[in-house]
Amino acid sequence: MLEVADLSSGYGAAPALWGVSLAIGDGELVCVVGPNGAGKTTLINTVAGVNPIRGGTIALDGRDLTHLPPHRFCDEGIALVPEGRRLFVGMTVRENLEIGSYRRGARAARARSLEQVCALFPVVRDLLDRTAGTLSGGQQQMVAIGRALMARPRLLLLDEPSLGLAPLIVVAMFDAIREINESGTAVLLVEQNVAMALDIAHRAYVLDEGRVVAQGSPRALAAEPALRRAYLGVGAEPPSVPP
Amino acid sequence: MTLPSATLLAQSALSGLFIGALYGLLGLGLGLSWGLLHLINLAHFAFAFLAAYVCYQLATVGGVDPFLTLAIIVPSFFALGVVVQWLLARFEVSPLNSLLATFGLTAIVEATIQHFWTADFRKLDSAYAQMKFRVGELFVPVPELLTFLLAVGLSLAIWAVMRYTDTGRALRAAAEDGPIAEAFGVNRRAHSLLLAGVCAALAGVAGVCLALSFTLTPAQIYGWVGVVFAAVMLGGLGSALGPLAAGIIIGVSEALAMAVASPSWAPIVSFTLLIAILLLRPGKP
Ligand SMILES: Nc1ncnc2c1ncn2[C@@H]1O[C@H](COP(=O)(O)OP(=O)(O)OP(=O)(O)O)[C@@H](O)[C@H]1O
Ligand SMILES: [Mg+2]
Repeated sequence: MLEVADLSSGYGAAPALWGVSLAIGDGELVCVVGPNGAGKTTLINTVAGVNPIRGGTIALDGRDLTHLPPHRFCDEGIALVPEGRRLFVGMTVRENLEIGSYRRGARAARARSLEQVCALFPVVRDLLDRTAGTLSGGQQQMVAIGRALMARPRLLLLDEPSLGLAPLIVVAMFDAIREINESGTAVLLVEQNVAMALDIAHRAYVLDEGRVVAQGSPRALAAEPALRRAYLGVGAEPPSVPP
Repeated sequence: MTLPSATLLAQSALSGLFIGALYGLLGLGLGLSWGLLHLINLAHFAFAFLAAYVCYQLATVGGVDPFLTLAIIVPSFFALGVVVQWLLARFEVSPLNSLLATFGLTAIVEATIQHFWTADFRKLDSAYAQMKFRVGELFVPVPELLTFLLAVGLSLAIWAVMRYTDTGRALRAAAEDGPIAEAFGVNRRAHSLLLAGVCAALAGVAGVCLALSFTLTPAQIYGWVGVVFAAVMLGGLGSALGPLAAGIIIGVSEALAMAVASPSWAPIVSFTLLIAILLLRPGKP
């Protein structure tokens, strides 16, 4: 469904992505891993329309998004859970979720979407009237994912959803991501927690210095000794996929 | 020092309430553009005075009812606000430079007013000017009462829009994190233009209220800056009800200070409040 071809982006004079190509099929859960500063956030933000496209193309279900203004990406079915969550901290949780369903195509289903988010993350129901800035990291992450789901995306972009969370919460977060994906939403997941990401992904890309350096099934990537050493953490146990 | 009578104090407090409402009305647009567009628009005061002179002209020369001039002033000032915002966005003016740019714009508007209406005092003589009624011991002047009602009505309306509509929420979200709001479909450019238009239209309404109650002279533009800034900072940037509440607090304190001590105390009250706010709320801009 998503076709990214030869994508370039950057900040000021400094390029951060050099001709990245990547594809996601219908209902697929694809993860992107790589060292710090590899360009993972730049890639995911560019696909979300937040970063400018310097070269190449982005297409969703055959529709070319390359030249759309940033605020139009969401209406094409893409929603972003940004790195560091970036909730509207001065607004209530309910208002954050309502901004999620701001786009015209999602407004009519707002009440139903809110029910679905509360069903996925039951604690959110009790937090609706709290100011987002007063929530714990795990609660904020749930709201950030909820906000994106309120847009009823066909493709959900997740940038390091486990960042800074306690291990038990991380497990819950990955379960939720799997559940979202199994309900039919395609997912592009960027993660530092390589083992867990490769565990739930259907396919994976390895990004380094703004380029794709490897791609394939999680099992194949995890089995590659050079990749394991260079990008997946030295001496890390292979993820829990049978050899 | 002898204390003035209770009636005089009550009458003073009432006039403080009315002028405070005008501080709030002037502060409403100023604070919205500061808090939500990150634009410190000094020209807001110049726009209000320009509207006051336009109202004066239409009412005195054209014989139009001062309140009917709103039908012309509101849409044309909305357009003026949109154009200025378009220019500021076009040249990517930073928040600090916006202060300088709009200071320059203020000087231009002041010169324009001076060109058309000279620096002489102008006073709108309308049917409303002499209207007042009695409530018990107190006199209630009609122009000031209408200013008060407009200030309260508009502040409440803006508050409701900010809180209960998608557009209001979008504006607040974009002020907090523009790129992320945009990723959820908020057209930031269009919203900025809309809000700037509304703020300028609010300046226009405040201008009509100015013309109803005050003698106009171009240099007066600067006389309102300090006290209205105090109201906006005390009330909270981007808040809809804050400037009105703060404006009334300042207006009433000034009026009581004038009644108890002397008229020269009035500015001291507002600037003491402003400095106290700056010292007590160090985290705020
Ligand atoms: N806002 C910015 N301004 C300038 N340079 C930036 C900015 N954000 C990122 N960069 C640079 O772009 C490159 C890619 O950064 P990016 O944040 O995309 O990496 P990442 O893979 O997400 O890293 P991390 O794992 O630390 O999140 C880095 O060299 C980084 O220094
Ligand atoms: Mg990153």
